[in-house]
Amino acid sequence: MRDHPTVVESRGLPRTAGYPAAARRRRRAAIRAPYSLMAPSVALLAVIVFLPMVVALYISLTGLNQYTIGDWVHAPFVGLKHYLDGLNPQGALAGSFYTSIKASVVFSGLTTLFILPISVGAALLFNGRLRGRVLFRAIVLLPYIIPTFVNGILWRLVFMNGSGVADQLLAALHLGSRQTFWLIGARSLWALIFADVWASWPFLYLMALAALQTIPADVYDAATIDGATAVRAFRHVTLPLMAPTLGLGIALSTINHFNNFALPYVMFGPTPPDQVNVLPLNIYVNSFITFNFGLGAALSVVALVIMLTPAVLYLRAARVGDAP
Amino acid sequence: MREKRTVTRRKFLQVAGAGAAAVAFPNILISCGQSGGTSTSTSSAKAKPATLSLFISKDTAHPQQQAQLMDMIKAQFEKENPGSSFTYDTYASAAEETTKLETAAAAQEGPDIFEFGSTLVPTAYATGAFEVFTDDMWNHIGGKKIFFQPQLTMSGPSPNKLIAVPVSGNPFALVYNKAMFQTAGISSPPKTWSDFVNVAKEMTNGKDQWGTSMAPADGFDPWHKIWLFVTQMGGQLMDSTGKKGLLDSKESVEACGFWLDWMAKYKIASTQNATFKGADEVRAFATGKIGMLVMTGPGGTVTWNNSPVAGQYDFGLGPTVPYGMTSLPPKGKPAQGFVSGQYYTLFKYSKNPELALNLLKVVVSPDIQYQYFKLRAQQPVVLDTFTKYPDAKQGPWAALYDAELKAYPTPFFGSWGQLEVEIGKAINKMASQIGVSGSYSMDDLKAALTQVNRELEASIQ
Repeated sequence: MRDHPTVVESRGLPRTAGYPAAARRRRRAAIRAPYSLMAPSVALLAVIVFLPMVVALYISLTGLNQYTIGDWVHAPFVGLKHYLDGLNPQGALAGSFYTSIKASVVFSGLTTLFILPISVGAALLFNGRLRGRVLFRAIVLLPYIIPTFVNGILWRLVFMNGSGVADQLLAALHLGSRQTFWLIGARSLWALIFADVWASWPFLYLMALAALQTIPADVYDAATIDGATAVRAFRHVTLPLMAPTLGLGIALSTINHFNNFALPYVMFGPTPPDQVNVLPLNIYVNSFITFNFGLGAALSVVALVIMLTPAVLYLRAARVGDAP
Repeated sequence: MREKRTVTRRKFLQVAGAGAAAVAFPNILISCGQSGGTSTSTSSAKAKPATLSLFISKDTAHPQQQAQLMDMIKAQFEKENPGSSFTYDTYASAAEETTKLETAAAAQEGPDIFEFGSTLVPTAYATGAFEVFTDDMWNHIGGKKIFFQPQLTMSGPSPNKLIAVPVSGNPFALVYNKAMFQTAGISSPPKTWSDFVNVAKEMTNGKDQWGTSMAPADGFDPWHKIWLFVTQMGGQLMDSTGKKGLLDSKESVEACGFWLDWMAKYKIASTQNATFKGADEVRAFATGKIGMLVMTGPGGTVTWNNSPVAGQYDFGLGPTVPYGMTSLPPKGKPAQGFVSGQYYTLFKYSKNPELALNLLKVVVSPDIQYQYFKLRAQQPVVLDTFTKYPDAKQGPWAALYDAELKAYPTPFFGSWGQLEVEIGKAINKMASQIGVSGSYSMDDLKAALTQVNRELEASIQ
């Protein structure tokens, strides 16, 4: 039931003859419609994502601690003090902060590096014809669905010196001492990486598998007709076609490892060795164990900026959001 | 129809916007509110029937017994307060304890009663979110004089600013394996740390039997031991203002060095202890291959009574004279441990403060206090309990009772929590070196303590 006949419809907006005021109203309503539909989502995003970020930014500029938490809105304003404490190389807290950044970068980078070939290899294997493929696909997801804190406890037990499975196995194979320390010192990094690779590789595997399944069979047929071997087909057909999805997977995986708090916390506790004193753990200890919420918030903001780097690089490389 | 659709959408957007705002700003609104806490100036007012909520520490060693004890408290409370009851939630780690405290203090909303360990009471006091007990309030639950007096030293910064009611004690003493003592020809626990090292060497074979054990990877054990040694030497870990750290002082360095030397120099503890936490130490003693544990509470007795050391261990007073000395130095204190235990605090924003006081009265009654001892192996903190039930300070508990009388309070600083973490960092780092290489350098120890002291001071400014 239209009030007035539509003369021309262009770019989705109705244009009407006569009654210009009513026409303008309808035109404005039509323009507003998508925004109105988006508004609830935008409001929720503002509440769930942006408001906490604004609050964190505000807290990072205050001296919020155990003395002021009862009236946190009125915590004293300290400006950039916490940023300077954390970032100034001469500052008392800078050593710990830079150690944590290094630990997080090394941990997340190496973990992703190890996960990538495992995930792609498994995806290639389970994408092919294989007896019991459905069962295997389900089994490989098990590490991913086990809660992280359970993984942490499990791997802490595995790497306990003397009694742990790792030491027992290495000793049985004459590859190491039964008294090798994995939870302290330099080896702690390898223990953490091993545990995280085991727990999180199915994520990248799923991404790789999804990418493989979108590649049409006729592309491989054409490659075969052109005389491509399996290796050449993988290198020149499979990998390029998987690249966009794999790129996203690598970016998300790196961010997830960088932000992993539960696994290092359960494995090493609040005073971990330097090699595994990752940034989320450092922020947690500053905020919730030593009640220095202002400093913890400032470190969180810095961590956010660091993590934006791979995200932005990926988005630019993939041209996400650009018109086709 | 068109008009109707427009109105509906507008209404929808209005509702959505209002909903989002309501979700976004409750904390701010709460924070801006001026309602403040509920006044509990008089406790004689009749409490309205209600259901209280408690947030208490989980007794992981005696979970069933804890539930049994809470049922007994509830039965007594409901009998004395018809129509009222309580529910409780538990925390199993210090992290949960502090997170709940922070959340409740920020939101000004939470359980009516919080249970805290003694060293978190200063932090709780600093938040200003807990009732300072008036004389009326103390009188309502029986008066301050009914308590084991050392426990009240951790209830608040001064006698007129107490926020925490002691509910159970956790005295520290030395526990030793009687069979290993007998085999080594040792008749009684050592009185000096030099004797301790010698006695421990007698019981060590360097393979599977050790004179003692330690837990440098624990969240608490490092500062417990370092505080003990420093106090006995006459030093402090923080100055009297609570703003200046003394973790790099001569006493602190010596204290840390002495403890680490148990593994590195005297070889009376296994280097495997480098990754030990408190529970590992308890399990190690249960094997019957560890001679002594120092500054140990009664919490391990359940494990030990069901292990090869059942009936073979005893508690005694630990050494008080620093290593290399024959008597206490001028400012040294003969500390056995610090005043330790669990405390109930009354949340300032509770809507049922009078009823909460009635519950506290039940908890500190001698009969319930005795059940803390019988069911959970915790020391009662109400003096009448020991008169009515003498077994609470007999047998192995005699030494623990004596040890509690020789306990000293830790400084009542809200920043004590930071200090605990910083000591743990330095000790953990050095213990890792020992675990991996078997030794450490004193220069590295000094550097580590200087660094954590800088971090401590920066974080409490």
